[in-house]
Amino acid sequence: MLIFATSDKGGTGRSVTSSNVLYRSALQGSDVCYLDFDFGSPTAGSIFNINHALRGTTRGGLHSYLDGAHGEPQRIDVWAESDRPSLRDRPPGAGRLVLLPGDSGGGEFPTTRENIERCARLFLRLEEEFDVTLVDLSAGRSYATEIVLAATARAELRSVRWRWLVFHRWTRQHVLAASGLVHGQRGIVETGIRHGHDRTRLTESLRFVRTAVVDPDSPELEGLQPAQLAWLRACNQDLLELASRERVGRTLVLGSVPLDPVLQWREQLISDNDVWARRIANRETVEAFDSLAKRIVDDTAWETL
Amino acid sequence: MLTLGEVHTGLLQNSTSLSLEHTTQLLDLLVGERVRRSERPIAYVVSPDQLTGVDCLLPTGTGSRTRAVGTVVSHATVTGGHVLQGSTYTLVGRAEVNRRLPWSHYLSRPGRLETIGKVDARDVVRGYLATGSPSQVLNLGAICARLIDAVQESTRLDRRPPFRSRRTRLRWAVLPSDDPAAEAQGTFRVESETLRTLELTVGHDDVAAVVALCEDLALHDWLLTTLLTLMEASLTAPGTRAQKVERLRPAIDCLLHLWMPAARLDESVLPVWRALERRPGFTRQWESSVNRIRDQVTLSTIALLEASLS
Repeated sequence: MLIFATSDKGGTGRSVTSSNVLYRSALQGSDVCYLDFDFGSPTAGSIFNINHALRGTTRGGLHSYLDGAHGEPQRIDVWAESDRPSLRDRPPGAGRLVLLPGDSGGGEFPTTRENIERCARLFLRLEEEFDVTLVDLSAGRSYATEIVLAATARAELRSVRWRWLVFHRWTRQHVLAASGLVHGQRGIVETGIRHGHDRTRLTESLRFVRTAVVDPDSPELEGLQPAQLAWLRACNQDLLELASRERVGRTLVLGSVPLDPVLQWREQLISDNDVWARRIANRETVEAFDSLAKRIVDDTAWETL
Repeated sequence: MLTLGEVHTGLLQNSTSLSLEHTTQLLDLLVGERVRRSERPIAYVVSPDQLTGVDCLLPTGTGSRTRAVGTVVSHATVTGGHVLQGSTYTLVGRAEVNRRLPWSHYLSRPGRLETIGKVDARDVVRGYLATGSPSQVLNLGAICARLIDAVQESTRLDRRPPFRSRRTRLRWAVLPSDDPAAEAQGTFRVESETLRTLELTVGHDDVAAVVALCEDLALHDWLLTTLLTLMEASLTAPGTRAQKVERLRPAIDCLLHLWMPAARLDESVLPVWRALERRPGFTRQWESSVNRIRDQVTLSTIALLEASLS
């Protein structure tokens, strides 16, 4: 299955959340791969602690593959090549975790028929061997988004399953922007239809993920003044109403990830060790990732009412 | 004559075994050319040969630059309705003149590459079988991969494979033996999780027999690799015995009956298979794995019977 991760704006935690979800998915036993389609700033290598590809690779990444410079993009086996000791060695029962990095100094490029064909071919090859292929797109409207929409509309990908995740923070601006990215002008739905997608299938295969969410009922907020808490609740209520009006409402949310200090300070994978032994990350965060990893492939979570 | 080739093997992206009839249509890649097929001892279909023109440098161990021009031959095969192979090879020889000739010259010699300038066969074999291949250099693997892609893209396939698996690559090279009566010999190496190399020395000039040998070896190597991967994933994952056995089901459904080493091979290349059966012993490992799977199934059945009796 192909999962496309996008976000309305930068800084939503799209890459770090989707990498963590994919990591959890691998730990649950699936063979997974992560495609860094954020051609403007390919930094997925740093989340997986791959020192030779921190800002993209120089050995033929996705960008130059799509451009036709070589027949196969570079693959990095995270369990074998990560420079972080706790990611080294595949845990028993875990699936493969492979990163396809972008090229350092890549930059965007226009959508041509050749690029789309190469993209479709790559997706089919990865579908042969991976249970989940997660494509991390850049924020907002981009050529990368257009290429993958055009590629998935091709006849040879018709029976391939794909889903879209739109990441946004839980604020007024982000809710409006996320709705605009999906439903607005030159948004995902409009661009998809232009490339031959069916509106119903596309909208039904699209869900939102809220990031860095502060729960007003969380015990951690007990230190706040009653007036502050009341204000927070009112804001949250406003947002819920806004989200529902903007078609970003509860029924279309696949999951939310709580605000976690570790993710605020450094984009990284949160290992069980960080939660249980070092106690630097919150258990709730990992549980949210675990649940998302199950829900992205769980058909019942994607049924529409 | 120096021969270079590569075979890629993978699982056909279909939920069930594809019938002989459907496979024949699937591999009908060239209009007007016949798809070859046979039913015994196992369903086997071969696409017509395709030619790809190349003008590139030859890989060398020493890094010396030799340009070669000509064509490479490739075809796709499907075995047992499940296993898809892309196979590419070419014969390399010295051209009579030291310049590139019109394409008609090369097209009249299908499957031959002519080097412009002299060539050291051993050096080319060393470079070719070394794992990394720089760009601008003959890349038979890319041609195999594209051929497999072309078949897998077909809308005749439902793209719901019973399990996920990786393609494996067998890169092979033949050095001609000085003694034409010499027995064929081969050195097989597992270079990485997906790359294998085979260096052959053959006395005779029967390229078709050598290609068939390499395809057969690649097929069985893929079967063994895939079975071992499925077994590892099933047996190391948490869960009850019944769940573990359930995860082995695709192996039982589509792989176990495909093992038929050297079924269609020419007598002249059999010594290579025989040596590989002695060491590392492909069939030995396969049989022990199959027995292990059957034992798991038996134990699971016993457990179910006991549970239903108590």
